[in-house]
Amino acid sequence: MRQQAVRRSILVALLVLGVLAAPAHAQETKGVYTLQVDGLACPFCAYGIEKQLGATEGVESVETDIKSGTVTVTMQDGATLDEDTAGMAVKAAGFTMRGYKHQGAGE
Amino acid sequence: MRRWPASLYLTCLLATSWAAPALAAPQSFNTALPVAQGEFLFREQFVLDQSGDDPSGANRDRTAWALVSVLGYGATPDLALFGVVPYVDKNLNLTQGGAKRERSARGLGDISLFGRYTVYRQDWPGRNLRIAPFAGLEFPTGEDDESDSLGRLPPSLQPGSGSWDPFGGVVLTYQTLDFQIDTQASYRANTEANSFAFGDVARLDGSLQYRLWPRELGGGVPGFLYGVLEANLVYQDKNQIGGSDDPNSGGLSLFILPGLQYVTKRWIIEAGVQVPAFQNLNGTALEKDYVLRAGFRLNF
Repeated sequence: MRQQAVRRSILVALLVLGVLAAPAHAQETKGVYTLQVDGLACPFCAYGIEKQLGATEGVESVETDIKSGTVTVTMQDGATLDEDTAGMAVKAAGFTMRGYKHQGAGE
Repeated sequence: MRRWPASLYLTCLLATSWAAPALAAPQSFNTALPVAQGEFLFREQFVLDQSGDDPSGANRDRTAWALVSVLGYGATPDLALFGVVPYVDKNLNLTQGGAKRERSARGLGDISLFGRYTVYRQDWPGRNLRIAPFAGLEFPTGEDDESDSLGRLPPSLQPGSGSWDPFGGVVLTYQTLDFQIDTQASYRANTEANSFAFGDVARLDGSLQYRLWPRELGGGVPGFLYGVLEANLVYQDKNQIGGSDDPNSGGLSLFILPGLQYVTKRWIIEAGVQVPAFQNLNGTALEKDYVLRAGFRLNF
Protein backbone atom coordinates (compact mmCIF):
# COMPACT_ATOMS: atom_id res chain seq x y z
CA MET A 1 0.00 0.00 0.00
CA ARG A 2 2.71 2.41 1.01
CA GLN A 3 4.79 1.60 -2.10
CA GLN A 4 1.76 2.26 -4.29
CA ALA A 5 1.23 5.64 -2.65
CA VAL A 6 4.87 6.56 -3.22
CA ARG A 7 4.69 5.50 -6.88
CA ARG A 8 1.50 7.52 -7.33
CA SER A 9 3.13 10.57 -5.77
CA ILE A 10 6.16 10.25 -8.05
CA LEU A 11 3.90 9.89 -11.09
CA VAL A 12 1.88 12.96 -10.16
CA ALA A 13 5.09 14.90 -9.54
CA LEU A 14 6.45 13.89 -12.95
CA LEU A 15 3.22 14.91 -14.65
CA VAL A 16 3.26 18.31 -12.93
CA LEU A 17 6.90 18.82 -13.87
CA GLY A 18 6.11 17.82 -17.45
CA VAL A 19 3.30 20.33 -17.72
CA LEU A 20 5.46 23.09 -16.26
CA ALA A 21 8.39 22.15 -18.43
CA ALA A 22 6.47 22.37 -21.73
CA PRO A 23 6.00 26.16 -21.83
CA ALA A 24 9.50 26.63 -20.49
CA HIS A 25 10.80 24.71 -23.49
CA ALA A 26 8.74 26.88 -25.87
CA GLN A 27 10.15 30.02 -24.28
CA GLU A 28 13.67 28.84 -24.91
CA THR A 29 13.11 28.40 -28.63
CA LYS A 30 11.42 31.69 -29.54
CA GLY A 31 13.78 34.61 -29.94
CA VAL A 32 12.49 38.07 -29.17
CA TYR A 33 14.23 41.13 -30.53
CA THR A 34 13.69 44.77 -29.67
CA LEU A 35 14.49 47.34 -32.33
CA GLN A 36 14.80 51.03 -31.61
CA VAL A 37 13.54 52.89 -34.68
CA ASP A 38 14.04 56.59 -35.35
CA GLY A 39 11.51 58.49 -37.43
CA LEU A 40 8.36 56.67 -36.30
CA ALA A 41 5.86 59.44 -35.73
CA CYS A 42 2.39 58.29 -36.72
CA PRO A 43 0.27 55.13 -36.97
CA PHE A 44 0.66 54.95 -40.75
CA CYS A 45 4.45 54.68 -40.29
CA ALA A 46 4.01 51.61 -38.13
CA TYR A 47 2.32 49.69 -40.92
CA GLY A 48 5.33 49.94 -43.22
CA ILE A 49 7.68 48.74 -40.50
CA GLU A 50 5.47 45.84 -39.50
CA LYS A 51 4.92 44.81 -43.12
CA GLN A 52 8.62 44.82 -43.94
CA LEU A 53 9.65 42.95 -40.80
CA GLY A 54 6.67 40.62 -41.04
CA ALA A 55 7.85 39.53 -44.50
CA THR A 56 11.23 38.52 -43.11
CA GLU A 57 11.76 34.77 -42.96
CA GLY A 58 11.13 33.27 -39.54
CA VAL A 59 9.25 36.24 -38.08
CA GLU A 60 6.16 35.21 -36.13
CA SER A 61 4.84 38.58 -35.01
CA VAL A 62 5.76 42.25 -34.91
CA GLU A 63 4.50 44.79 -32.41
CA THR A 64 5.17 48.51 -32.46
CA ASP A 65 5.10 50.98 -29.62
CA ILE A 66 4.94 54.31 -31.34
CA LYS A 67 5.55 56.45 -28.26
CA SER A 68 8.88 54.83 -27.43
CA GLY A 69 9.76 54.07 -31.06
CA THR A 70 10.36 50.42 -30.25
CA VAL A 71 9.46 47.47 -32.44
CA THR A 72 9.32 44.04 -30.84
CA VAL A 73 9.91 41.12 -33.18
CA THR A 74 9.05 37.60 -32.04
CA MET A 75 10.61 34.81 -34.11
CA GLN A 76 9.28 31.36 -34.86
CA ASP A 77 10.80 28.37 -33.04
CA GLY A 78 14.48 28.17 -33.73
CA ALA A 79 14.58 31.20 -36.06
CA THR A 80 16.86 34.17 -35.51
CA LEU A 81 16.91 37.78 -36.72
CA ASP A 82 20.33 39.22 -37.40
CA GLU A 83 21.03 42.91 -37.10
CA ASP A 84 21.68 43.50 -40.81
CA THR A 85 18.40 41.90 -41.85
CA ALA A 86 16.48 43.93 -39.28
CA GLY A 87 18.24 47.13 -40.36
CA MET A 88 17.46 46.53 -44.04
CA ALA A 89 13.78 45.90 -43.31
CA VAL A 90 13.55 49.12 -41.30
CA LYS A 91 15.35 51.03 -44.07
CA ALA A 92 12.98 49.60 -46.70
CA ALA A 93 10.11 50.97 -44.64
CA GLY A 94 11.76 54.37 -44.86
CA PHE A 95 13.16 54.72 -41.35
CA THR A 96 16.39 54.30 -39.41
CA MET A 97 17.25 51.55 -36.94
CA ARG A 98 19.19 53.03 -34.05
CA GLY A 99 19.18 50.08 -31.66
CA TYR A 100 19.04 46.28 -31.87
CA LYS A 101 18.70 44.04 -28.87
CA HIS A 102 18.20 40.31 -28.58
CA GLN A 103 15.91 39.79 -25.62
CA GLY A 104 16.44 36.05 -25.68
CA ALA A 105 13.51 33.75 -24.94
CA GLY A 106 9.96 34.91 -25.26
CA GLU A 107 6.54 33.41 -25.01
CA MET B 1 -17.95 83.70 -72.51
CA ARG B 2 -15.32 83.60 -69.83
CA ARG B 3 -13.80 80.20 -69.29
CA TRP B 4 -13.42 78.85 -65.81
CA PRO B 5 -9.71 78.29 -65.19
CA ALA B 6 -9.67 74.56 -65.52
CA SER B 7 -5.99 74.30 -64.85
CA LEU B 8 -6.65 75.78 -61.44
CA TYR B 9 -9.31 73.18 -60.93
CA LEU B 10 -7.12 70.42 -62.26
CA THR B 11 -4.26 71.62 -60.16
CA CYS B 12 -6.41 71.46 -57.09
CA LEU B 13 -7.26 67.90 -58.02
CA LEU B 14 -4.03 66.69 -59.43
CA ALA B 15 -1.25 68.71 -57.95
CA THR B 16 -3.08 67.74 -54.92
CA SER B 17 -2.92 64.31 -56.28
CA TRP B 18 0.67 63.89 -57.10
CA ALA B 19 2.95 61.94 -54.86
CA ALA B 20 4.64 61.24 -51.45
CA PRO B 21 5.12 58.54 -48.62
CA ALA B 22 2.01 57.57 -46.41
CA LEU B 23 2.22 59.53 -43.20
CA ALA B 24 -0.75 61.59 -42.26
CA ALA B 25 -0.25 63.81 -45.33
CA PRO B 26 -2.21 66.83 -46.54
CA GLN B 27 -5.66 66.77 -48.10
CA SER B 28 -5.18 69.43 -50.74
CA PHE B 29 -2.03 67.99 -52.31
CA ASN B 30 -0.65 64.49 -52.75
CA THR B 31 3.04 65.03 -52.94
CA ALA B 32 3.53 64.22 -49.27
CA LEU B 33 2.00 60.76 -49.36
CA PRO B 34 4.48 58.27 -47.85
CA VAL B 35 4.97 54.79 -49.32
CA ALA B 36 7.44 52.21 -48.06
CA GLN B 37 9.38 49.96 -50.43
CA GLY B 38 7.18 47.27 -51.97
CA GLU B 39 4.09 48.85 -50.46
CA PHE B 40 1.02 50.20 -52.25
CA LEU B 41 -1.05 53.15 -51.23
CA PHE B 42 -4.52 53.92 -52.52
CA ARG B 43 -6.27 57.22 -51.97
CA GLU B 44 -9.80 57.98 -53.08
CA GLN B 45 -11.02 61.52 -52.76
CA PHE B 46 -14.38 63.08 -53.55
CA VAL B 47 -14.00 66.70 -54.53
CA LEU B 48 -16.92 69.09 -54.89
CA ASP B 49 -15.94 72.39 -56.44
CA GLN B 50 -18.38 75.30 -56.43
CA SER B 51 -17.77 78.59 -58.21
CA GLY B 52 -20.07 81.52 -58.71
CA ASP B 53 -20.28 85.23 -57.86
CA ASP B 54 -19.92 86.02 -61.55
CA PRO B 55 -18.66 89.55 -62.26
CA SER B 56 -19.54 89.27 -65.98
CA GLY B 57 -23.30 89.60 -65.59
CA ALA B 58 -23.90 86.21 -67.22
CA ASN B 59 -24.89 84.70 -63.87
CA ARG B 60 -22.46 81.87 -64.35
CA ASP B 61 -22.61 79.21 -61.69
CA ARG B 62 -20.25 76.32 -61.96
CA THR B 63 -20.44 73.06 -60.02
CA ALA B 64 -17.93 70.33 -60.60
CA TRP B 65 -17.34 67.14 -58.74
CA ALA B 66 -14.66 64.57 -59.18
CA LEU B 67 -13.63 61.21 -57.86
CA VAL B 68 -9.87 61.22 -57.79
CA SER B 69 -8.13 57.88 -57.42
CA VAL B 70 -4.45 57.84 -56.51
CA LEU B 71 -2.32 54.71 -56.54
CA GLY B 72 1.20 54.90 -55.16
CA TYR B 73 3.94 52.29 -55.10
CA GLY B 74 7.25 52.33 -53.26
CA ALA B 75 9.80 51.19 -55.85
CA THR B 76 12.69 51.73 -53.43
CA PRO B 77 12.92 53.30 -49.97
CA ASP B 78 13.49 56.65 -51.74
CA LEU B 79 11.59 56.37 -55.02
CA ALA B 80 7.82 56.39 -55.07
CA LEU B 81 5.70 56.19 -58.21
CA PHE B 82 2.15 57.50 -58.44
CA GLY B 83 -0.74 57.43 -60.82
CA VAL B 84 -3.74 59.74 -60.57
CA VAL B 85 -7.02 58.95 -62.31
CA PRO B 86 -9.83 61.50 -62.06
CA TYR B 87 -13.43 60.98 -63.04
CA VAL B 88 -15.07 64.36 -63.43
CA ASP B 89 -18.51 65.86 -63.80
CA LYS B 90 -18.70 69.54 -64.72
CA ASN B 91 -21.80 71.64 -64.91
CA LEU B 92 -22.17 75.30 -65.87
CA ASN B 93 -25.35 77.33 -65.58
CA LEU B 94 -25.46 80.75 -67.19
CA THR B 95 -27.75 83.30 -68.77
CA GLN B 96 -27.32 83.93 -72.49
CA GLY B 97 -29.55 86.36 -74.40
CA GLY B 98 -31.96 86.42 -71.50
CA ALA B 99 -32.33 82.63 -71.48
CA LYS B 100 -30.93 80.31 -68.89
CA ARG B 101 -28.58 77.68 -70.25
CA GLU B 102 -27.00 74.63 -68.77
CA ARG B 103 -23.94 72.97 -70.20
CA SER B 104 -22.25 69.94 -68.79
CA ALA B 105 -19.90 67.06 -69.41
CA ARG B 106 -18.66 64.09 -67.51
CA GLY B 107 -16.17 61.31 -67.96
CA LEU B 108 -12.63 60.19 -67.38
CA GLY B 109 -10.29 63.12 -66.92
CA ASP B 110 -6.61 63.41 -67.73
CA ILE B 111 -4.46 60.77 -66.05
CA SER B 112 -1.22 61.85 -64.38
CA LEU B 113 1.87 59.81 -63.66
CA PHE B 114 4.68 61.09 -61.52
CA GLY B 115 7.63 60.04 -59.41
CA ARG B 116 9.05 61.40 -56.21
CA TYR B 117 12.59 60.81 -55.04
CA THR B 118 13.66 61.50 -51.46
CA VAL B 119 17.00 63.29 -51.64
CA TYR B 120 17.30 64.15 -47.95
CA ARG B 121 16.15 62.07 -45.04
CA GLN B 122 16.77 62.57 -41.34
CA ASP B 123 15.28 60.51 -38.55
CA TRP B 124 15.23 61.21 -34.83
CA PRO B 125 13.35 59.48 -32.03
CA GLY B 126 9.69 60.27 -32.73
CA ARG B 127 10.53 62.75 -35.51
CA ASN B 128 11.53 62.76 -39.15
CA LEU B 129 12.36 65.16 -41.96
CA ARG B 130 12.07 64.45 -45.69
CA ILE B 131 12.86 66.55 -48.74
CA ALA B 132 11.82 65.14 -52.08
CA PRO B 133 11.58 66.59 -55.57
CA PHE B 134 8.91 65.21 -57.82
CA ALA B 135 8.14 65.35 -61.53
CA GLY B 136 5.41 64.02 -63.74
CA LEU B 137 3.25 64.34 -66.77
CA GLU B 138 -0.46 64.68 -67.28
CA PHE B 139 -1.66 62.73 -70.29
CA PRO B 140 -4.54 63.80 -72.55
CA THR B 141 -6.71 60.81 -71.69
CA GLY B 142 -9.90 62.77 -71.05
CA GLU B 143 -12.34 63.69 -73.78
CA ASP B 144 -11.60 67.18 -75.10
CA ASP B 145 -14.14 67.62 -77.90
CA GLU B 146 -17.47 67.19 -76.11
CA SER B 147 -20.31 69.29 -77.45
CA ASP B 148 -23.97 69.99 -76.79
CA SER B 149 -26.82 71.71 -78.64
CA LEU B 150 -24.97 75.00 -78.34
CA GLY B 151 -21.86 73.61 -79.98
CA ARG B 152 -18.49 72.55 -78.71
CA LEU B 153 -18.08 72.96 -74.96
CA PRO B 154 -15.47 75.43 -73.75
CA PRO B 155 -12.15 73.90 -72.63
CA SER B 156 -12.96 74.48 -68.97
CA LEU B 157 -15.98 72.19 -69.25
CA GLN B 158 -14.26 69.41 -71.15
CA PRO B 159 -13.33 66.37 -69.02
CA GLY B 160 -9.84 66.47 -70.51
CA SER B 161 -7.50 69.20 -71.66
CA GLY B 162 -6.20 67.45 -74.78
CA SER B 163 -2.69 68.58 -73.89
CA TRP B 164 0.45 66.96 -72.51
CA ASP B 165 1.27 68.89 -69.36
CA PRO B 166 4.49 68.37 -67.43
CA PHE B 167 4.76 69.38 -63.78
CA GLY B 168 7.33 69.28 -61.06
CA GLY B 169 8.34 70.64 -57.72
CA VAL B 170 9.71 69.81 -54.32
CA VAL B 171 7.99 68.73 -51.12
CA LEU B 172 9.23 68.95 -47.55
CA THR B 173 7.75 66.99 -44.67
CA TYR B 174 8.57 67.40 -40.99
CA GLN B 175 6.74 65.05 -38.69
CA THR B 176 6.67 64.56 -34.94
CA LEU B 177 4.43 62.51 -32.69
CA ASP B 178 2.40 65.66 -31.98
CA PHE B 179 2.16 67.31 -35.39
CA GLN B 180 3.18 67.18 -39.02
CA ILE B 181 4.06 69.97 -41.45
CA ASP B 182 4.12 69.52 -45.22
CA THR B 183 5.06 72.19 -47.71
CA GLN B 184 5.43 72.03 -51.43
CA ALA B 185 6.39 74.36 -54.25
CA SER B 186 5.33 73.26 -57.70
CA TYR B 187 5.04 74.42 -61.27
CA ARG B 188 2.84 73.11 -64.00
CA ALA B 189 3.36 73.93 -67.67
CA ASN B 190 0.07 73.64 -69.52
CA THR B 191 0.67 73.11 -73.21
CA GLU B 192 -1.55 73.86 -76.17
CA ALA B 193 -4.26 71.68 -77.63
CA ASN B 194 -7.05 72.68 -80.01
CA SER B 195 -5.52 76.19 -80.31
CA PHE B 196 -6.03 76.69 -76.60
CA ALA B 197 -3.69 76.50 -73.62
CA PHE B 198 -4.56 76.92 -69.99
CA GLY B 199 -2.23 79.27 -68.20
CA ASP B 200 0.74 77.76 -66.40
CA VAL B 201 0.28 77.30 -62.67
CA ALA B 202 2.73 78.01 -59.85
CA ARG B 203 1.76 76.92 -56.36
CA LEU B 204 2.94 77.12 -52.78
CA ASP B 205 1.12 74.77 -50.45
CA GLY B 206 1.39 74.22 -46.74
CA SER B 207 -0.31 71.83 -44.36
CA LEU B 208 -0.31 71.50 -40.59
CA GLN B 209 -1.76 68.37 -39.00
CA TYR B 210 -1.99 68.55 -35.22
CA ARG B 211 -2.85 65.56 -33.06
CA LEU B 212 -6.06 66.29 -31.17
CA TRP B 213 -6.61 62.80 -29.82
CA PRO B 214 -5.32 60.93 -27.95
CA ARG B 215 -3.88 63.81 -25.98
CA GLU B 216 -1.50 61.48 -24.16
CA LEU B 217 0.08 58.57 -25.95
CA GLY B 218 -0.11 55.15 -24.36
CA GLY B 219 1.41 51.92 -25.59
CA GLY B 220 1.03 50.29 -28.98
CA VAL B 221 -0.24 52.11 -32.04
CA PRO B 222 -3.44 54.02 -31.29
CA GLY B 223 -5.40 55.81 -34.00
CA PHE B 224 -4.66 59.52 -34.26
CA LEU B 225 -7.25 62.22 -34.81
CA TYR B 226 -5.60 65.20 -36.46
CA GLY B 227 -6.93 68.70 -36.83
CA VAL B 228 -5.82 69.95 -40.23
CA LEU B 229 -5.12 73.47 -41.46
CA GLU B 230 -3.86 73.95 -45.00
CA ALA B 231 -3.07 76.94 -47.17
CA ASN B 232 -2.72 77.01 -50.96
CA LEU B 233 -1.27 80.01 -52.76
CA VAL B 234 -1.98 79.57 -56.46
CA TYR B 235 -0.86 81.79 -59.31
CA GLN B 236 -2.14 81.02 -62.76
CA ASP B 237 -1.01 82.69 -65.93
CA LYS B 238 -3.57 83.83 -68.49
CA ASN B 239 -5.00 81.27 -70.85
CA GLN B 240 -3.95 81.42 -74.47
CA ILE B 241 -6.54 81.37 -77.23
CA GLY B 242 -5.06 81.07 -80.68
CA GLY B 243 -1.77 82.35 -79.30
CA SER B 244 -3.26 85.42 -77.60
CA ASP B 245 -3.84 86.04 -73.92
CA ASP B 246 -7.36 85.70 -72.61
CA PRO B 247 -7.71 88.82 -70.41
CA ASN B 248 -10.45 87.14 -68.36
CA SER B 249 -8.37 84.31 -67.04
CA GLY B 250 -5.68 83.62 -64.51
CA GLY B 251 -4.76 85.49 -61.36
CA LEU B 252 -3.69 84.94 -57.80
CA SER B 253 -5.66 83.05 -55.15
CA LEU B 254 -5.12 81.98 -51.57
CA PHE B 255 -7.19 79.17 -50.14
CA ILE B 256 -7.48 77.95 -46.57
CA LEU B 257 -8.60 74.45 -45.69
CA PRO B 258 -9.67 73.49 -42.17
CA GLY B 259 -10.36 69.80 -41.79
CA LEU B 260 -10.08 66.59 -39.82
CA GLN B 261 -8.16 63.41 -40.41
CA TYR B 262 -8.31 60.08 -38.56
CA VAL B 263 -5.21 57.97 -39.04
CA THR B 264 -4.72 54.29 -38.23
CA LYS B 265 -2.04 51.81 -39.30
CA ARG B 266 -3.93 50.63 -42.38
CA TRP B 267 -6.37 53.38 -43.30
CA ILE B 268 -7.09 57.05 -43.07
CA ILE B 269 -10.35 58.95 -43.43
CA GLU B 270 -10.30 62.67 -43.99
CA ALA B 271 -12.45 65.64 -44.87
CA GLY B 272 -12.04 69.36 -45.19
CA VAL B 273 -13.46 72.46 -46.84
CA GLN B 274 -11.24 74.70 -48.90
CA VAL B 275 -12.41 78.30 -48.84
CA PRO B 276 -10.91 81.31 -50.59
CA ALA B 277 -9.13 83.76 -48.32
CA PHE B 278 -8.08 85.96 -51.20
CA GLN B 279 -8.82 85.96 -54.94
CA ASN B 280 -7.37 88.52 -57.32
CA LEU B 281 -8.41 87.18 -60.69
CA ASN B 282 -8.09 88.84 -64.06
CA GLY B 283 -11.08 90.38 -65.79
CA THR B 284 -14.27 88.45 -65.32
CA ALA B 285 -12.65 85.19 -64.27
CA LEU B 286 -15.08 83.20 -62.18
CA GLU B 287 -14.28 83.13 -58.49
CA LYS B 288 -14.32 79.97 -56.44
CA ASP B 289 -16.82 79.70 -53.57
CA TYR B 290 -15.53 76.56 -51.88
CA VAL B 291 -14.07 73.11 -52.48
CA LEU B 292 -15.22 70.20 -50.34
CA ARG B 293 -12.82 67.30 -50.01
CA ALA B 294 -13.57 63.95 -48.39
CA GLY B 295 -11.98 60.59 -48.82
CA PHE B 296 -9.99 57.70 -47.51
CA ARG B 297 -6.59 56.12 -47.90
CA LEU B 298 -5.40 52.53 -47.61
CA ASN B 299 -2.00 50.93 -47.20
CA PHE B 300 -1.45 47.46 -48.57
